[in-house]
Amino acid sequence: CTDDLDITPNDDQTTLSEDLYVDEGAYKQVLAGIYANLALTGTDGAGSSNLKNIDAGTSQFGRVLLYTQTLAADQMIWSYENDPGTRELQRNLWTAQNPLLLGMFSRAHLSIALANDFLRETTDEKLDAREVSSSVRSEIPAYRAEARLMRAMAYYYMMDLFGQANFTTENDALNSQLPAYGRAELFNFVESELLEIESDLIGARQNQYGRADKAVAYMILAKMYLNAEVYINEDRYSDCVSYCDKIINSGYSLASNYLHNFMADNNTNSAIEEVIFPIVSDGITTQNYGPTTVMINGAVGSIEENGTEVGVGAGGWGGALRVRKQFAQLFDGAFGDDDRNTLITEDRPIDISDISDKDTGYIIQKYSNATSTGGFGVDQTFVDTDFPLFRLADVYLMYAEAHLRGGGGSASTALGYLNSLRTRANNPAILTSGEMTLDYILDERARELHWEAHRRQDLIRYGRFTGGNYNWAWKGNGSNGIALPAHMALYPIPSASLAVNPNLTQNPGY
Amino acid sequence: TVTEKSTAIPLPGVNVVIKGTTTGTATDFDGNYQIEANNGDILVFTYVGYQPIEATFTGQANLNVELTEDAAQLDEVVIIGYGSTTKKDATGSVEAITSEDFTKGNIVTPENLLSGRISGVSITTSGAPGSGSQIRIRGGSSISASNDPLIIIDGLPITNNGVGGSRGVLASINPSDIDSFSVLKDASATAIYGSRAANGVIIIVTKKGKSTFSATLDSQYSFGELTDRINVFNGNDYRNLVRSQPINGTTLDESLLGGANTNWQDEIFRNTVSSQHNLSLQGSLFKAIPARFSFGLTDQEGALLTSTFERRNLGLALNPSLFDDHLKININANLSFEDNRFGDSGQIGAALRYNPTKPVYDQSSPFGGFYQHRNGSIVSNGTTNPVASLLQTNNLGDSNRSYGNINFDYKFHFLPELRAVVNIGYDNIKAKTINSSSTLVATNDDVKGNSSLGFQKRTNELLDGYLTYNKEFDKFRTEFTAGYSYQRFTNEGDNTGNKRDPLSFPSTFADPDVVLIGYFGRANFTLSDKYLVTLTYRRDGTSRFSEKNRWGDFPAAAVAWNISDEDFLKDSNVISNLKLRAGYGITGQQDVGEKDVFLNRYRAGDQNSQYQFDNVVIQSLIASEINPDLKWEETSTLEFGIDYGLFNNRVSGSLNLFQKNSKDLLFVAAVADGANFSNSVVQNIGELQIQGIEFSTNVDVIKKDDLSIDFNFNATFLDREIQNLALGQDVRTGGIAGGTGNNIQLHRIGEAPNSFSVYKQLYDVAGNPIEGAYLDTNGDNVINDDDRYLKENPGADVILGFQSNINYKNFDLAFNMRANLGNYVYNNVNSSNAQLERLQDNAVLGNLPTSVLNTNFVRTSDVIISDIYLEDASFLKMDNITLGYTFNDVCKGLKSVRLWGGIQNVFTITNYTGLDPEVFNGIDNLIYPRPRTILAGANFKF
Repeated sequence: CTDDLDITPNDDQTTLSEDLYVDEGAYKQVLAGIYANLALTGTDGAGSSNLKNIDAGTSQFGRVLLYTQTLAADQMIWSYENDPGTRELQRNLWTAQNPLLLGMFSRAHLSIALANDFLRETTDEKLDAREVSSSVRSEIPAYRAEARLMRAMAYYYMMDLFGQANFTTENDALNSQLPAYGRAELFNFVESELLEIESDLIGARQNQYGRADKAVAYMILAKMYLNAEVYINEDRYSDCVSYCDKIINSGYSLASNYLHNFMADNNTNSAIEEVIFPIVSDGITTQNYGPTTVMINGAVGSIEENGTEVGVGAGGWGGALRVRKQFAQLFDGAFGDDDRNTLITEDRPIDISDISDKDTGYIIQKYSNATSTGGFGVDQTFVDTDFPLFRLADVYLMYAEAHLRGGGGSASTALGYLNSLRTRANNPAILTSGEMTLDYILDERARELHWEAHRRQDLIRYGRFTGGNYNWAWKGNGSNGIALPAHMALYPIPSASLAVNPNLTQNPGY
Repeated sequence: TVTEKSTAIPLPGVNVVIKGTTTGTATDFDGNYQIEANNGDILVFTYVGYQPIEATFTGQANLNVELTEDAAQLDEVVIIGYGSTTKKDATGSVEAITSEDFTKGNIVTPENLLSGRISGVSITTSGAPGSGSQIRIRGGSSISASNDPLIIIDGLPITNNGVGGSRGVLASINPSDIDSFSVLKDASATAIYGSRAANGVIIIVTKKGKSTFSATLDSQYSFGELTDRINVFNGNDYRNLVRSQPINGTTLDESLLGGANTNWQDEIFRNTVSSQHNLSLQGSLFKAIPARFSFGLTDQEGALLTSTFERRNLGLALNPSLFDDHLKININANLSFEDNRFGDSGQIGAALRYNPTKPVYDQSSPFGGFYQHRNGSIVSNGTTNPVASLLQTNNLGDSNRSYGNINFDYKFHFLPELRAVVNIGYDNIKAKTINSSSTLVATNDDVKGNSSLGFQKRTNELLDGYLTYNKEFDKFRTEFTAGYSYQRFTNEGDNTGNKRDPLSFPSTFADPDVVLIGYFGRANFTLSDKYLVTLTYRRDGTSRFSEKNRWGDFPAAAVAWNISDEDFLKDSNVISNLKLRAGYGITGQQDVGEKDVFLNRYRAGDQNSQYQFDNVVIQSLIASEINPDLKWEETSTLEFGIDYGLFNNRVSGSLNLFQKNSKDLLFVAAVADGANFSNSVVQNIGELQIQGIEFSTNVDVIKKDDLSIDFNFNATFLDREIQNLALGQDVRTGGIAGGTGNNIQLHRIGEAPNSFSVYKQLYDVAGNPIEGAYLDTNGDNVINDDDRYLKENPGADVILGFQSNINYKNFDLAFNMRANLGNYVYNNVNSSNAQLERLQDNAVLGNLPTSVLNTNFVRTSDVIISDIYLEDASFLKMDNITLGYTFNDVCKGLKSVRLWGGIQNVFTITNYTGLDPEVFNGIDNLIYPRPRTILAGANFKF
């Protein structure tokens, strides 16, 4: 009876792909899996991972994005430097061995693989063969467009962080040897994809919460155009302005309260007017060690033990996260009473001379597992707070910046946008057109968008990430900051990823 | 009647033949025989393992003979795969240990009977009561796949995977039911087990029934005490240290000091009392069926507060013979009930850290009267009182196991040279785990404590059948064996989740079944008893691989030459036995965690791993990693061996040289990102080479009636080296405490597996280490990961074993010692604790190992990867010493009583600074300590 060697899974959670689509609900569930890859690391709880050779928690998409964009820059310090990779990242000492970089590279590529799989399984031939009902079929074009959008987003981040990616589409078989695409090729691909899927995507603010719509595609395009000089050495600021316009004209408005964007009920409070794309988190159903769980638990002060105020354990994670001096100083003067200033400074020196001393340096209380109505999230570790990956305030700031960089649009509109952010933050000082400079915008982006995984990209665009014209605390492993060599504007291709695809080449300098 | 000379026990199955004829018979289970003979006929009595005897029939009604054991023991039966052979005829590297040679002492689980006995075999057992062991034969031939040997009990290969609720897969087996072990080490011996034999095979044979009545009762008590502690500051020293601040610029909160002097390690460890009782009855059931019944009772206290191990074993063996012994039936049925209470060994670390100036109890505490670091009823961050944690937690595991087999061995009536053997085996383990804790545990959570119930069931079903054909032609003997084997393993279970937590969900799991099917054959050729050839072949199929890859072929061949039987040595007074052996074979490996990775699968998120669209939960489906090309890992072994016996075999032993090469190692290795549904998937990548020398010698120093002294010495030299890895990539491994996901070990081509990857510590002129200063090994003026270098590995270069038995009149004395040389241990206890910054963690003071005074290091993160924490952990241990005295013929019905006493873990000599140098994976992160135990017992024979 050698037929007994043909086994099938016994576990309820596992299904063979040939049996999967018998239930037509599976199409939406597999689509949900692509989105879930941004929030979850595995299918079996927050500690599980479908990536290997990296700690589950530290391969969460939003978290590694936060680490690569924010921790590596001037806004954040992680106290527990024996957590592998954190020390090298926040002191700008990283190598191709860095596990967090592997997590970023691999997690984003998993999004690509999952999207490709969905596209392969939803071709007309396959749907015909399975005799899929017309009601489900009518949904498929939007599903496919969203899968392509998620794939494009992954490539966009690869272009930004690593300048390279393994290029694969639904036309490649599994385990194929893949070509490597550089920045220009990725730029062209992402741009053409986003333009091509626009018609199939559901209109802005029309899709279900948690799923992506046209505005998400516009957002990625706007960001690519804003940074096009970095990516492909081209001036695309006017494209940036026009795509910012498209988003702004789609019916978004600022949340009534700045902090609503970062609260446990940001999936239902006024933030839903502002957030363009959230990564969903839930204390029960979508548990993860992602950016909101990390930032809310991590920002609880070692001295203050203020966790109960933000809906987690009193001690949180014992003071894991603090801010660097240069960021704290952005709230001096006119911004002291600004709603965006959540600094806690009492009994704390502003300087961090010893990173492991959790009582030094200021902390902030931006993200919270409390709700806008005075309640709290359901769990005291895993927060309900969704991560606002893209939101309208960013679009306002991009519009103004692209305008100042010669992208057209209207100066008064730009000024209006900037002032609306200050007004929303209950900051009485009105910005004048003379004060509307690129430097102001960079600082304002920090005040508005800190800890939202944008900072490294912004500093690079301003030429202040590498080199020595702006040195922040612990940049280059000096407590007062040391210049970084230019090659560090790109991360190295993780050595494990590099080894398995000979078409990739290590970025210069590594 | 035919009896055994020294014990007068009847011998069944003795061949009785009239000399010069083919007329013959065999003795029955009572040693009786009947034969028709004429006056003057010479009867020849032969029995394996005994010297043949001839007796002349002179018309007497009863002709009784006594057989003496063959001192040379070359005819000693050795159990091998699907059959048996004799030591003299063995062509492979096979070592047999029978009950009289077992390692003595505090033996709770069967593998410890072998501890230190056999070259090339290392057994590492933790100090937890009834705990499982890591068994390695020749170091293990895999990296990622299992390195456990195949363990076979009465023909039933058992799984190496235990269940929750049990201490280990061997913990439920009663060692006193075991009659013998055969350890098959080289491929020519193991290849008949094909796919699972790459790491060697241990064949366990349990005791059988006999037709004459006998009974034994063995009782022992043991009293254990931990002799060592990790040195931390005592209350007074700690107060002085904290008050000597600022320490390196940091000020501590002196108000957190208390007035107590608590040694937290003393509080969580205890002296233990344990007992074992075994009763066995042998005799004939219904005057027809030789039977054995055994009952065992084991009750072990763990040195760590609350941990206990209790086991009850029932064993029944029925061994009837039918049709003039043409059909032999062996039935074994065993029941085992294991009741555990697990003490959280993580509390050893908590005890090390806990503030020694605070008391254990605090009447005002809202947490069950235990002192806790708190502010009113708010618990401070950090460690909780370890005594409270242990006493307020009740984690129970009840594992019920039934295993056994029925074996039919039929000698064909029309063709007695042909035997058919069928073996049906089963092994079911059902385990229940109950995890509960007091509602008064120190927590700030809304949910106070835990209450969950888990269930797990493993089954293992076997059907084996084979035919054996023996034929002798004058000087030429042949034996052919051919058979089929089918085995299926299942594993499933569920868990209620924390019933006190409304957010916790019940869960279930079910592994894919594992099915293994094999066809096997063996041919033995012997010419003049001097030239021996064995050929084996097995074809194995596994359900773990896809249809195109699932079958593997595992051939082996061995030759042996009994030189001592050649004319030029036959009459030597010095050399009584000399055999040269050579063997080559291929064995396989398929035992990786993944059981269905070759299939296209999707996995749905569990209750905590779903997504939400429009704030409505949708169960996400995510494609699982896939490798349709997965295939067998193969290990080829080349071996040369010498078996020797000198001075009438008073000195005997063997020397083996071997080389094992594993290729297509099953290894979780990187795949191109985006090309699969993970960044890594189990693949056949990498090569590992093991070279080794094994030497053993048994010496009968004195062998007289009232004085005998013998000893056994064995030595193993092992060298493991990775020869290839996926695309030449290093693989990090060896997770350590202190940080999330830190690794200290590395696999690298050209190095031993699990080599330590560390920074090279720099020292000042006075020889003191400079904190955070490391050698810039690549000279790029930046100290980062690229500067870590490889230093040593956890494997011992040399493993030594030494046992001795001394008998003087009625006294018996036995001891055994083991040594490992060249094994390194990373002292994770020091590396993650012995830094001054750890004196205060937020609002809690913490204790440190006093070794911090040697380095004065301040920050864990700066020093945790330093090679200063890597230590040579070579050791010499005396595992036990036992002294006994036997009273014979005490009274009617009681044949003998032996009283004995002994000490387990007598001493350890080592330079390692941690608690115990014997750390299996080389990372000492507070192992469960092994107590020193005083033993006393009595054996009664009826």
